[in-house]
Amino acid sequence: MNDTTATASPPLLLTEHARAHHRVAWIATVDHKRIGILYMLTALFFFVVGGVEALFIRLQLAVPNNTLLAPDTYNQLFTMHGTTMIFLVAMPMLFGLANYFVPLQIGARDMAFPRLNAFAFWLVPLGGILLHFSVLAGGAPAVGWFAYAPLSETPYASQPGVNYWALALLVLGIGSVSASINLIVTVLTARAPHMTLRRLPLFSWMFFVNSFLVILALPVLNAGLAMLLIDRLLDTHFFLPAGGGSAILWQHIFWAFGHPEVYIVAIPAFAILSEIIPVFSRKPIFGYEFVAGSTVAIALLSLLVWAHHMFTVGLGHTVDLFFVASSLLIAIPTGVKVLAWSATMLGGRLRLETPMLFCVAALVQFLVAGLTGVTHAVAALDWQTKNSYYLVAHFHFVFVGLIVFAILGALHYWFPKMSGRMLSERIGKWTFWLMVIGFNMTFVIQHFLGFAGMPRRVYTYPDLPGWGWMNMVSTVGAFFMAAAALLLVWNLAHAFRRGPVAGDNPWKAWTLEWATTSPPPHENFDALPPIRSRRPLWDEANPDRPEPVVGGDDATSPVAEKSKAGVIAFIASEAGFFGVLILAFLFFNATPQAGPGPKQLDLFKTGMFSLCLFASSFTLWRSEVSLRNAKHRAMKGWLAATIVLGGIFVVGQGLEYWGLFASGVTVSTNLFATTFFTLTGFHGLHVCVGLIALLIVLGLALAGDFEKRKSSALGAVGLYWHFVDVVWVFVLTAVYIFPLLK
Amino acid sequence: MTTSEFLHTAWSWNPLLLAACAAALAGYWFAFRRTGRIGYFVAALGVVLLALVSPIHALADGYLFSAHMVQHILLLLVAPALALLSLPATFSPGKMPRVFVHPLAGWLAGVGAMWVWHAPALCNAAAVSGPVAALQSVSLLVLGAVFWWQVLAPRDDQRLAPFTAILYLFTACVACSALGIILTFSPVRVCSVFMHPVDRLGIMGTIRGGWGMTPERDQQIGGLLMWVPMCSIYAAAILSQFARWHATPALPEKTP
Amino acid sequence: MNLLATVFEPASPQAGAISHLFFVTLIICAAIFVIVAGLIAYSLMRFRAREGGGEPEQVAGNRKIEIFWTVIPFLIVVVLFAMTARTMSLSDQPPAAEPDLIVTGHQWWWQVNYPHTGAVTANEIHIPVGKPFCVELRSVDVLHEFWVPSLTRKMTTVPGHPNHIWLQADKAGTYLGVCSEFCGTQHAWMRFTVVAEDAEKFEAWQRAQLAPAVTPTGEAEHGLALFKEMTCASCHAIEGTGVNARVGPDLTHFASRAQFGGGVVENTPANIHRWLVNPQAVKPGVKMPNFKFTDEQLTALAAYLGSLK
Repeated sequence: MNDTTATASPPLLLTEHARAHHRVAWIATVDHKRIGILYMLTALFFFVVGGVEALFIRLQLAVPNNTLLAPDTYNQLFTMHGTTMIFLVAMPMLFGLANYFVPLQIGARDMAFPRLNAFAFWLVPLGGILLHFSVLAGGAPAVGWFAYAPLSETPYASQPGVNYWALALLVLGIGSVSASINLIVTVLTARAPHMTLRRLPLFSWMFFVNSFLVILALPVLNAGLAMLLIDRLLDTHFFLPAGGGSAILWQHIFWAFGHPEVYIVAIPAFAILSEIIPVFSRKPIFGYEFVAGSTVAIALLSLLVWAHHMFTVGLGHTVDLFFVASSLLIAIPTGVKVLAWSATMLGGRLRLETPMLFCVAALVQFLVAGLTGVTHAVAALDWQTKNSYYLVAHFHFVFVGLIVFAILGALHYWFPKMSGRMLSERIGKWTFWLMVIGFNMTFVIQHFLGFAGMPRRVYTYPDLPGWGWMNMVSTVGAFFMAAAALLLVWNLAHAFRRGPVAGDNPWKAWTLEWATTSPPPHENFDALPPIRSRRPLWDEANPDRPEPVVGGDDATSPVAEKSKAGVIAFIASEAGFFGVLILAFLFFNATPQAGPGPKQLDLFKTGMFSLCLFASSFTLWRSEVSLRNAKHRAMKGWLAATIVLGGIFVVGQGLEYWGLFASGVTVSTNLFATTFFTLTGFHGLHVCVGLIALLIVLGLALAGDFEKRKSSALGAVGLYWHFVDVVWVFVLTAVYIFPLLK
Repeated sequence: MTTSEFLHTAWSWNPLLLAACAAALAGYWFAFRRTGRIGYFVAALGVVLLALVSPIHALADGYLFSAHMVQHILLLLVAPALALLSLPATFSPGKMPRVFVHPLAGWLAGVGAMWVWHAPALCNAAAVSGPVAALQSVSLLVLGAVFWWQVLAPRDDQRLAPFTAILYLFTACVACSALGIILTFSPVRVCSVFMHPVDRLGIMGTIRGGWGMTPERDQQIGGLLMWVPMCSIYAAAILSQFARWHATPALPEKTP
Repeated sequence: MNLLATVFEPASPQAGAISHLFFVTLIICAAIFVIVAGLIAYSLMRFRAREGGGEPEQVAGNRKIEIFWTVIPFLIVVVLFAMTARTMSLSDQPPAAEPDLIVTGHQWWWQVNYPHTGAVTANEIHIPVGKPFCVELRSVDVLHEFWVPSLTRKMTTVPGHPNHIWLQADKAGTYLGVCSEFCGTQHAWMRFTVVAEDAEKFEAWQRAQLAPAVTPTGEAEHGLALFKEMTCASCHAIEGTGVNARVGPDLTHFASRAQFGGGVVENTPANIHRWLVNPQAVKPGVKMPNFKFTDEQLTALAAYLGSLK
């Protein structure tokens, strides 16, 4: 807990036995700190992969009419580069930081669900392997990271690459949702006493808000991916205009996820800036409430602006104008943030060490990105610059200029805490300057290439005036960045072994992670300092002028039961998934389809089976009441009745399917059949999962588990079961009852 | 009729409505003259008049679905909110049946008013029949008040806690946007009345030609109004709850 | 070299309106950048930590300033919105009842139809100077995007969902266009040109395009026979020869175009020859396979194609 012990026994000097244990321990670990580091190492590995891909892209574009790479190779490279950087670098890196530091900042012992945490992490390498396996299976996908239909459909991308891409993203999406549910529940239930929500450091607050965005946005993508896979594997036509499908629907689904996704990776960068800039300015953040509130505003608005990615698809001026308005509104909370960070620096005592340098550069570059972002929100300008190098420059200013710079700042800032050793400041400064020069060289010039009319995703270009040298400058800049990346890796590896010992709080920071040893012990804290404000360590260091006390033990913050909170968060994400499927059903069945339609369905029979399902919610409720009243026999009886009723429903659905198959209606017959089987099929799958969960609970009950100890299993599974029943109300209405009204 | 002629003449000075507004104002003056915030109340009445007297009403009366949507939003989300804000902090509604002040009832009132009144049959009926339209307007005001009560009730203990209120508003926003999205992109016209309006005012040429309002575009604007600006209202309310949470004074610490 | 190139050198009222708005927006953005970046730079210079300086005054915020910088951006946003709405209606008017031009995206070339006259061409659009053309944009396969930076907004071509734009040029000249939506292997070489010329020249061009293909003589006559005999005829059309497949570009007046292959090469006899030897070597992935013609066949076909003025 103090500097002397840290110096006396430098970290990571382990006995032989401990070291052997260590190696296995890293694979089987459920410790949030180790999982965090695993996340970050995975991200770093894929950062190198995606970076090498970027270098090949820039080499190919260095000169006009280049023949270094074949067109398809180039197309595969930029698809993999985009997918890798977003899903295998940015997301894992941010989850890694969150995993390591959110529990520490809130004074928790670990994440709420350590095993779920490990599961969520291991999905990342699995997704990465799935994605890259496509290379062995006939070539990586070559459809761009947003896989616009119909190019991503079988007739135009017959190789299985897109299938692996979609599967990988599904796996990664499930991982991200799991990690976010875990973070939400951790922040809600695992905070140290007196660490009220209003006292959360901005870093933790923003990750908390961000996690909601993840559980709302990712399921939308998952639904889209499921539909794309069904199209590709079962020969249906969701997104194929040739079969009555809609190419534009894919864009709506993709960007309903895709725009929030931009903020999902940007908000953590905001979180990092909000943490580091105050520490190195020696001042609290300027306007905590406004910065925290603007994060909420950004998260809300980000769900409401996706159509600005579609200004050139021809939705019409009416739609465009509404989304111009909502997109421009995002500039306001974003501006509040930028100004708050700038004002934090004003009047401080700035210490320009490497973490701060990266954050200041990130701030200025994000200012540029934000302003060019405004020009994209203005539809009339977007009509010129969309899909040009101006857009490429804009989003690299966001993804590299802001996010990568913020992450590099975070690595330099928190490396001492994670390893117990300091990084070399000299190499850090070299890394920084190479990175700043390289980044701006690469991407500033691309704005002008866009003005000159160079479209993105071209493997080569004609020798038009100015295009050659501008591209060459951009390529040279990319190699500066590569050099910076090499220096960073060297610095990390070297400091990990030989860096000077860091001590508990090398930056004299104020949040709780600095109140423990570096690296923290397995259980994180021996004892916590008193928490009365947002900067407990400031209060400790400056007892003469402590921060004003914030809030109190606040009665309004919900302290939920862990497993229930988790299931509720899970249900929220599932609702998004089903919402998309139901909207797709309504969209495709608004006008009658040729071929089979709702008339083929037997409302009476289904109504009967539905009654069984609804009745099962009642029986389950009785079971819960019985448990509460400690009537264990009744509880088991009601539970068994629930399972029987649920089983009857599944059998009923099976009979309906059988009847349709017998009359020749399959999933690929027409869009009614496709949407019907997709929607009811996914619901049926959820009922089956619920049944398995109920059977497990029944098994536990029969084994007497509930008599021995209080278990929340029934309550948690019960919530899920009720949710599945509620979904059926909507499905029944949309599929069976709605067509009758017409 | 040109646009400016229309804007000058198409005011529906409904005496019953004006009398009701005057009575409401008089009642408010009598009851809360000292304690209330009359500015909010006047604004609420202004919004009601804007929705039901101004040319918006003439357009909503069978011509334009989008105008109907403006009316809907003003009566459901804006006017009741302002009216609740005008009440003095000491105001108590007396003995209210519990069902009106239950959060679920509030939520269903707000969301239900959106969905139910846009069922094709009801939407058409309200657009052509005076009494149904009157019923719709009154019901929107009442349901809006029930909805907002959970968030804007005069006394803090009558409102939901900030986080619950945020959940309440967010889910309502999602439920309404879903309908907005459906209306925007649906290939079928939800309120068929607006496709072939009975042109009592002789304004149809201006609407279709001058303003370029085809029935498709009209419904699209209606859907978008329900989706984007309405969500912005909910989003603003969510942020106000966030501000309210941060403004809650510090409670005394239990232990140091 | 003009860094602001095409987007800021508009040659039509449509592109002019956008360019004007861009200019205004960039000035606003530049002003904001200078103010905020200036603030940061000032802090960096003025407020550096000194040895033994102690902690600065702990300012946690200022509600008035925070409200001020929330309201100011809001006002800017309102102004920008109004300007956007105006520019949108100036640069992208509602389509005419009948399009003057139908452009269809194919993997990886543009088919160009003049519905009023029936003229058909590919990758090279001719328009008369000063006359606005309503263009209907279609696609037969995947998404493409029609973009002529100095003339008009870009617009995606969506299969099953025709879009419309206005194409107009105030000055005679050749304007470069590209496909700007990724559409597969050869997205890079899906370029086209818009040739704006005087009304008479345009009429003359259109008349020439409407004429059936020239009757070949000598070597070229052998070429036509080969064209029909080999599978060329199952993809391409040549008016007046009875060959009218519409899978690949119409070749009736192939030799009148300046480039071919979506801009990948200039239309010269040597390049026609190279293309026929192996199109996959010139434009890898192009839908035309390598037919492995003999030298004699190559000469005849190249002569015929070169004669299609």
